[in-house]
Amino acid sequence: MKAKDVFSYSFSAIKLRKLRAGLTTLGVVIGIAAIVALLSITQGLQNTITNQLETGLATDTLIVTPGRSVFSQGGAGIGGGFGGGGSGFTLLLNDTATINGLSPDIEGSVAIIQRAVYFQNSERSFIINVLGVDFAEYEAIYGGNTFVAESGTINSNPANDEVVIGNTLHNPWNNGTLLYNVGENVDIIWTNATARPPKNETYTGTVTAVLKEIGGFSFGGPSDTGVYIPSAQAESFFGTDTCSQIIVKLANSDQATIDNVSELITNTFDGEVSVISSTAVLSIIGSVFSVIQLFLVGIAAISLLVAGIGIMNIMIVSLIERTREIGILKALGMKSRTVLLIFLGESVIIGLIGAVLGIVLGWGLANVVAVVFSGGGPFAGIGGGQDAGVGTAGLDIVPVLTPTVLIGALGFGIGVSVIFALYPAWRASKLKPVEALRYE
Amino acid sequence: MAQIVEAVDLKKTYMLGKIPVEALRGVNLKVESGDLLAILGPSGSGKSTLLNLIGALDKPTSGTLLIDGVDVSTLSDNQLSDLRRRVGFVFQFFNLIPRLNARDNVELSLSIAGVSKAERKKRAEELLETVGLKDRINHKPAELSGGQQQRVAIARALANNPRFLLMDEPTGNIDSKTAREIMRLVKGLNAEKGVTIIMVTHDQHLAREAKRTVQMFDGVITSDVANGEPT
Repeated sequence: MKAKDVFSYSFSAIKLRKLRAGLTTLGVVIGIAAIVALLSITQGLQNTITNQLETGLATDTLIVTPGRSVFSQGGAGIGGGFGGGGSGFTLLLNDTATINGLSPDIEGSVAIIQRAVYFQNSERSFIINVLGVDFAEYEAIYGGNTFVAESGTINSNPANDEVVIGNTLHNPWNNGTLLYNVGENVDIIWTNATARPPKNETYTGTVTAVLKEIGGFSFGGPSDTGVYIPSAQAESFFGTDTCSQIIVKLANSDQATIDNVSELITNTFDGEVSVISSTAVLSIIGSVFSVIQLFLVGIAAISLLVAGIGIMNIMIVSLIERTREIGILKALGMKSRTVLLIFLGESVIIGLIGAVLGIVLGWGLANVVAVVFSGGGPFAGIGGGQDAGVGTAGLDIVPVLTPTVLIGALGFGIGVSVIFALYPAWRASKLKPVEALRYE
Repeated sequence: MAQIVEAVDLKKTYMLGKIPVEALRGVNLKVESGDLLAILGPSGSGKSTLLNLIGALDKPTSGTLLIDGVDVSTLSDNQLSDLRRRVGFVFQFFNLIPRLNARDNVELSLSIAGVSKAERKKRAEELLETVGLKDRINHKPAELSGGQQQRVAIARALANNPRFLLMDEPTGNIDSKTAREIMRLVKGLNAEKGVTIIMVTHDQHLAREAKRTVQMFDGVITSDVANGEPT
């Protein structure tokens, strides 16, 4: 019997039991929809976060922080503490000189002194992280990308009182209300807890530049909520030559260069520092998301399993109802294999229709969820997500349906249907014609 | 004439629950091409069992059954399926597929044999015309009378140009007038197209119209007469 004829015979059998086939298909639809929705939402979320990070990260930079641990010590030093990783080791401002001399692949480096301060003008006061950086070096690393003035100017050789602020501190809501402006004087207040008695240190700076909007999370690089002061000022004002991190600019972003330089720096400091590349950060985030996705998909897969059992159940009922028909087919000379294929064909049709509808439903669901999440974001096309993360309010999640998910969902839907149909189909094929014909 | 069925000491034992039932207890039979054979006997005499064996629907317990010179007990499941395509089976309860119309029922037999769509359609319509159902081609079994359904079943059985036609009580479920019409059709097929026919019946009148009558009782053949004369 020709494959086409087998398939059309399967289809005619399904058409006869529309309601039953429909309900069976619904099980597959729900399972696949859950999987597709969860995958495309988490993929969209990952893209959003990754994009935001990539905006703040340059791929040709490394971040050196004190302490052996990875990733979690990125913000060491907040709260005026010495010591990053527990061993008492600290990075010093002049460690940049050591790092710069390590390899021709290193183009430069910048040390960052970081403190939480009160940042206030006559109207407002915020607690904010202030970063003391060498403006010239910092601009050399991030100048082409994120350390760019929207208004005012960033002097490469700044006076001590110059302050550069992130865009959010200037214009957080895009509605005309401005917080801090270029030319404005601001008080920067730091509580020196090591002095006896503890006392507040204050100096008055002048905002000389507002950065253009970056729109991402900050990881080492400039951020929308950052305040930047010259490193010399930070050093004398905070009374420290300890820095929380050193950003290293590489000649290129090859993985080999990243690996070599990372190892050089780690060895130079006898393993007391962690060197993180942006690609490593991204891959950590990627693997975290993989675990989350696997977990969610696992849960969704349970519903598909239930659907599979439903298929099996319905196929066994159908097999019993059609015992006589199978007898007739066999008496007409149909091979056992063909009977098997007819039953499997029915499950393929159910799986295919269920998977296609499930993908459509899941995709719709993902978009609805995304809109709810981001409070009215635009619908996006398949493979979209390029503009994710430039919004200012909330998380703009753009669900992503990758070809892998698409094909995977289709395959999974059909696969589950077929696997659960194997037993009923096998039983049908094994029926003896004489007994099947006698069946009432 | 070529011999197409030869049974030698054919035995078949069923298990009815745990009790063995000897349905055939040593049947010897030869059927030649062009024959029109009626097998008569009371129910339980083994005539349907014999027919099922000849139709390759079942395998004998012992003895030899040659169909077209091939010993069926040596055949695999797949080979038995192939053999069934060369046998036309007509059942007492028609056994048409209810959701398919007359033409599709006839086509099914052809499609199992792998005949292409266009040829199937043409052949199915020709066959339905032969059995006198040209104007009922698109009717489903439920829309046809018993006699008409049996004609569809005959058309289906003839679809693959079988070596012979096996009919199990073909008129058992239809009125006597229609039964005579069916019998006329069967005789016509035998006489004009040379189709070999083996028919099981318990209707003496019908059996008398055959060229040869085989009487069965209790799993064995008790008489075998041609045109009323003993062989």
